[in-house]
Amino acid sequence: MAKKMMKGNVAIAEAAVRYGVRFYAGYPITPSSEIMEYLSWRLDEVGGAFVQAESELSGVNMVIGAASCGVRALTASSGPGISLKQEGVSTLCDEELSAVVINMVRYGNGLGTLYSSQTDYLRETRGGGQGDYRCIVLCPYSIQEAVDMLGLAYDLAEKYRVVTVFMAEGALGQMMEPVELPDFIETKKNYWGFDGKYSYKKIGIFDRDSMKEAVALREKYAAICENEQRWEDEGIEDADYVFVSYGLTGRSTLGAARELREEGYKVGHIRPITAWPFPHKAFAKINPNVKGIITVEANATGQLIEDVALATKKAMENNVPTYALPYVYGIPAIKDIKEDFVKIANGQVREAY
Amino acid sequence: MAVERKVPAIIDKPMNFCPGCGHGIIIRLIGECLTELGQDQNVIYAIGVGCSSNLGGGLEADRLHCCHGRAAAVATGMKRVNKENIVLTYQGDGDAYCIGIAESLNAAYRNENITVITINNTNFGMTGGQMSVTTMEGQKTSTSKLGRNCDVTGFPMKFPEMVASQFNVAYAARGSVDKPQNIIKLKAYIKNAIEAQMNGEGYSIVEVLSPCPINWGMTPSQSMEHIRDVVMPYFPIGVLKERGEKA
Amino acid sequence: MKEIVFAGFGGQGVLTSGLIISDIAVENGENATWMPSYGSAMRGGTANCTVKYGEGIIYNPSQEEPNLLLAMNQPSFDMFIGKVAKDGIVLVSEVVDTTACTRDDVKIVVVPCHKIADEANHSRGANIVMTGAIIKLLGDHTMEQGKAAMERMFNKKGKNKFSELNETVFEAGYNYI
Repeated sequence: MAKKMMKGNVAIAEAAVRYGVRFYAGYPITPSSEIMEYLSWRLDEVGGAFVQAESELSGVNMVIGAASCGVRALTASSGPGISLKQEGVSTLCDEELSAVVINMVRYGNGLGTLYSSQTDYLRETRGGGQGDYRCIVLCPYSIQEAVDMLGLAYDLAEKYRVVTVFMAEGALGQMMEPVELPDFIETKKNYWGFDGKYSYKKIGIFDRDSMKEAVALREKYAAICENEQRWEDEGIEDADYVFVSYGLTGRSTLGAARELREEGYKVGHIRPITAWPFPHKAFAKINPNVKGIITVEANATGQLIEDVALATKKAMENNVPTYALPYVYGIPAIKDIKEDFVKIANGQVREAY
Repeated sequence: MAVERKVPAIIDKPMNFCPGCGHGIIIRLIGECLTELGQDQNVIYAIGVGCSSNLGGGLEADRLHCCHGRAAAVATGMKRVNKENIVLTYQGDGDAYCIGIAESLNAAYRNENITVITINNTNFGMTGGQMSVTTMEGQKTSTSKLGRNCDVTGFPMKFPEMVASQFNVAYAARGSVDKPQNIIKLKAYIKNAIEAQMNGEGYSIVEVLSPCPINWGMTPSQSMEHIRDVVMPYFPIGVLKERGEKA
Repeated sequence: MKEIVFAGFGGQGVLTSGLIISDIAVENGENATWMPSYGSAMRGGTANCTVKYGEGIIYNPSQEEPNLLLAMNQPSFDMFIGKVAKDGIVLVSEVVDTTACTRDDVKIVVVPCHKIADEANHSRGANIVMTGAIIKLLGDHTMEQGKAAMERMFNKKGKNKFSELNETVFEAGYNYI
């Protein structure tokens, strides 16, 4: 099939249908609303169900209901809406139900703004709600990758019985670029789904043994960390400096890294595709004599830098400095990244860690 | 015709309710109705948070413990994808009417084809007897030590009346477990509610006035008298919306 | 890779112009990205989008230094004139006053798109006039490719009842350059 120009949110919504999503509940919020607008009529065509919920909170709890019946369920939101969903995300993980939550990230605290950004990195990678859990976090850098990866999002969520958070910058949902959509898969119900006959003996909350569960939980998360790290890297074996950046910001950074290479700077690039589990393994390949690791981020204070500093400490022998370049919101311009890189190379920027 | 009365198979396990509590009677009635309607192997419970949570430990049926107040939303998700199953919520007044008022009202507003059973014992039982939206005027609770002052806390909320009068729901009733005659009536209400769902008529709710002797500081028999003398005059029992009245 | 910013009042069709240009490129086997201003920015005042197209990866789909700025109104001109790349083209409608512009490293082209559209009895087609002009100015695609993309766009939107008028004003814009 030829690629055609599609809006990110629309392409993602149609891909969801093709990957077998048959339930959506949520509440509109810019810049994610087109996903639910599209599914409001599209799910009906394929025998699925759609509910415009009275709140984000209610929406995610409807997703819990559908997921508990073994159906591929989806909700999407942004900023404050994702905050409201956190009790549901925690519950899904606690009940070992699978679902995908799309966060089209917008900038700011509280009500925030509508600008595209990466301000939710720490929240998404640390679980977000109460308790002691992690979500698998995927961060696409193009609409095509988003569309391709949504199937993986469900496969991983179901394999490990966790929530996969699909974390994209708001701009990815609003922009258009050429996309090829996936084929339709056959829909299925997960074996643990309710059927009214108590076929799957789910353990009630009062019969659970938290100490025993903790061991299983640790094993599960360790297996995810071991098996599911995903990233792309380029030019890191001989690099003096390595950029680490994800999503659309990572895409712009890749452009900057390649231009800098052409201009004679030995720079490499790591693009995390899973933000959790963080791709620690990528760091093993970095030139042991690297002079610094640099994050490029679309937030105010630097969030990715914390994982990058930890990964650097784990992988590198020397006390390699790590630097954060936070460009607040939008997609950082290649020109700005290059200029700021030169400042780092000239020793004009203080390391973060 | 003689009917053999045995404990419904799906609730054949002990539960941890206080002596004199009404939950056990209601749970039994729901189990009997499901069995008699041939739905006991076709049911999913969405269970609230509070004393109602104790139901989960005693059930041999599909059930999910919902986040506090969200049972009607969870049940909505269940019913929309498993249309052939009977989906019931089992909640207390605190769960359904306080923290979950948005989810409860909106499920009724959409006329969601689910059955909501709420246990109204005029206080938060599980957390130690705090004031609820159903707490009677002047009732002493651990957060209304001098008795509920309705001028600043609002008057006891009549949720079934709200949805019966304002929304296009299929069925609404209030029953009580204070005496055998009322228990028999209550069973008919519950059966009607489940039948409404089976027929795809839409949202059905049965609120049940139930005693909380421990938090009320009464004996079980005093509690039943309290329901009759104090609670029921404000919260009248009976059918608030008959099946078939819906537009 | 080319970068174009399309800017004007909401309802003037600048987002559609951007879509047509990006669609030509994709149909031609190139890459393209279309990035709108969205949210509160899309209500009331001005609307704009950034289109990039060309061979190979488009790393940053958002605005950096446009090779061409289409400014359909004064606020758009004032907002973006400083961002245009050196030696870039600034295409403006007849309503834009460029006399205060201090840049001498860009080429300013005035196309009376409203007048052209009005004369063709297609007053809502000013954006299409400019789309034709842009294709000629950039020289990357032919008039036929442009017209075909326009047809696809309006057919998809179910607005093909103006297709003859659109063709007329498109050609007029193309030939004005």
